[in-house]
Amino acid sequence: MEQVKTHRIVLQPTQVELTAPAGTPLRDLLFEQGVEFPCGGRGRCRGCRIRVREGSAELNDAQRERLSEEELRNGWRLACQCSLAGNLVVELRQWDAAILADDSPFVFEPRPGLGVAVDLGTTTLVAQLLDLTTGHVLAVRTALNVQARYGADIMSRVEYATAGDHLPELADLIRRQIASLIDQMIFSSKSVRAEIRDVVLVGNTVMHHLFCGLDVEPLSHYPFESPHAGLQQFRASALAWNLDPQATIRFLPCLGGFVGSDVLAGVLATRLSESEEIGGLIDLGTNGEIVVGNNSRLLCASTAAGPAFEGARISMGMRAATGAISQVVVERQQLVCHVLGNAAPQGLCGSGLVDAVAAGLDLQLIDPSGRFSNGRKEWTLATPVVLTQSDIRELQLAKGAIAAGLSLLLGRLGAGINDVKKLYLAGAFGNYISRASARRIGLIDMPIDQVSPAGNTALLGAKLALFSGDDEGGSYGRLRRKIEHVALKSDAKFQEVFVDGLAFPQLSEVQS
Amino acid sequence: MSLFEEMQQAIIDGKAPVVKELTQKALSEGIKPADIFPKAIVPAMDEVGRRMRDCEFFIPEVLIAARAARAATDILRPLLVGDAAARPAGTVVCCTVKGDLHDIGKNIVAMMLESAGFRIIDLGADVSAEKIVDAVRAHDANLVAMSALLTTTMVNMKSVIEALAAAGLREKVKVMVGGAPVTESWARSIGADGYGKDAPAAVDLARSLAAA
Ligand code: B12
Repeated sequence: MEQVKTHRIVLQPTQVELTAPAGTPLRDLLFEQGVEFPCGGRGRCRGCRIRVREGSAELNDAQRERLSEEELRNGWRLACQCSLAGNLVVELRQWDAAILADDSPFVFEPRPGLGVAVDLGTTTLVAQLLDLTTGHVLAVRTALNVQARYGADIMSRVEYATAGDHLPELADLIRRQIASLIDQMIFSSKSVRAEIRDVVLVGNTVMHHLFCGLDVEPLSHYPFESPHAGLQQFRASALAWNLDPQATIRFLPCLGGFVGSDVLAGVLATRLSESEEIGGLIDLGTNGEIVVGNNSRLLCASTAAGPAFEGARISMGMRAATGAISQVVVERQQLVCHVLGNAAPQGLCGSGLVDAVAAGLDLQLIDPSGRFSNGRKEWTLATPVVLTQSDIRELQLAKGAIAAGLSLLLGRLGAGINDVKKLYLAGAFGNYISRASARRIGLIDMPIDQVSPAGNTALLGAKLALFSGDDEGGSYGRLRRKIEHVALKSDAKFQEVFVDGLAFPQLSEVQS
Repeated sequence: MSLFEEMQQAIIDGKAPVVKELTQKALSEGIKPADIFPKAIVPAMDEVGRRMRDCEFFIPEVLIAARAARAATDILRPLLVGDAAARPAGTVVCCTVKGDLHDIGKNIVAMMLESAGFRIIDLGADVSAEKIVDAVRAHDANLVAMSALLTTTMVNMKSVIEALAAAGLREKVKVMVGGAPVTESWARSIGADGYGKDAPAAVDLARSLAAA
């Protein structure tokens, strides 16, 4: 049998060393390390810049267009356009002083010591260790939330916590897990433990409660409002974390209902609250959080889209990992599927699902009603991966919920979709989804140049919070008061708008 | 195509104004109101149910068809009051349980049951066990149809069944349950009389429970 050649890649400044088969796209390798691809890895932005320190990486037209001659001479490349052709040492632009480089009006005062920012998601965690003087990211760790084995979604976790008095157990699990991520980061970056002063966590209301050890019973039933959704602060000693006992751990305040500080952080990161123009932020996850507004008023809601965008409840759905079809395009009436990790296709992840349905609509294999035309029952995308009728129905429910939430929130603001000048898509999925396909299926009914992937805005906002604090003791009270939480469940128009939004647009409606 | 067939097609296609027109035409031709139900509306909605089960129809098509059927039933109902031949197939108290406001599935089930000839007492969403007990008594219902969409509110179905028993009504009503997180075995474990996975299943179930 032929031996597949492997190469080594070293990432700076984190010093992570990886080995992978020759020809593996850097995009797939780096994505797993937390590198983000704002344009979805299509060579259309400069977000994934890397600097080749040793070895060489290929150059193509997309890169010549985006990078200056000087940058190219100095070894800068777009990671999404390169694959592993030999041993490499690369420097990651994203781990460099993103905050210092940002000309935001945030009061950023370099201060001594180190800080940790954590995005505590229902499914995944991302933690970064930062140098508070320079703004450099010293280490990154991602992991699956250990609580996930007690329920994939927030409601099942709430149920587990309340039904058997498992709250202390869940809180303990997640606290230990984050402590161990911090330990790993200290170790890998050879940092001094005692220099960590401040840890900022963000997450949805359930994650907030389960980390802080607060009763989730009020979140188990209507009206889903908890009395303890504010800023929670701990000393390291109180959590039994092996840090300076005086180090503070802050879980930023929730916005209302299930909308948590990850969305507050998203508002900080996208600066929606500073511009006069109306902007929006959408997290296309299970809870489908949406924020719209401007510097005078912001409204937020969660639309409970369900996990279709994450590939769950889809017959051959899977997470965006090796073997997942992540992209589907039609070229000369032929389907072309991109499979992550240069592997044989095994399933379909959220971005692939959206692309596949968009392609089906363009090829007229799928009617605008969502039904396969000509009595077809399923459609083979790339053997053995198929798209079934009920997969399309699941996607319709998810996109209908998001579209309805957006339209109802805008309605309350007295605005329409045309008034929105900028729409940010948060989260990993927002990075990978094709905006053209999102528009084709009616998920986002606006010209794609006004829609921009914003990366992990929760983590970015948590980082900003590490540097800025605010004048109300880190509680972001002023910003919070500006953001109003809307409970969509009490909106009498929801059903009508949701049902109207289940169908897909006709081709003529999306050609502008 | 006969008039009944035309009506069926118009309901399936969701053309409410056509259904209304055809209903009036049928009445003016002397067709008995009580005949229109079994010959036009019920078979049309059965076909809608079949298409829904086969994934051919989705929520919008079903709702539009049910709305079209309603154009006929709105005209016929007042004419049928007191008509012994047009006794409802049963009286169903339906709702989404306490703590839960998801009502789209419940609304579809209610509309399908209505066009299958059941009398519907729709209590809405976030409904307490007491309210259900009161409604069963007040309307002399023989069926209760409950919906829940949340893992955390499903348990309230059990309390309703207990409340019905405590009020001495459990023998009198059949209880059916549904909603995305609900399963057959869960339904059995709480002592419900039946579970339906979708609206057409709800209709079949209601028919068999009402006949039992
Ligand atoms: C629309 C929706 C909403 C709307 C509800 C609007 C409304 N008026 O109903 C809004 C946005 C308000 C909402 C809010 C919430 N939602 Co919600 N929502 C959904 C969504 C997208 C679709 C549900 C739906 O309408 N399906 C279509 C109907 C037709 O299907 P159905 O209800 O299952 O009904 C069919 C069958 O089950 C059956 N059936 C139903 N009832 C009965 C009864 C009987 C007797 C029988 C026989 C059959 C039967 O027949 C029906 C027709 O075939 C789902 C996600 C998804 N993709 O499914 C989440 C979902 C149900 N919601 C969820 C959650 C968590 C919430 C919130 C708690 C959280 C939040 N993020 O805000 C709130 C709570 C609201 C409340 N107080 O109850 C979760 C539940 C998870 C869980 N494990 O419990 C889901 C699954 C999404 C997720 N996060 O994964 N939601």
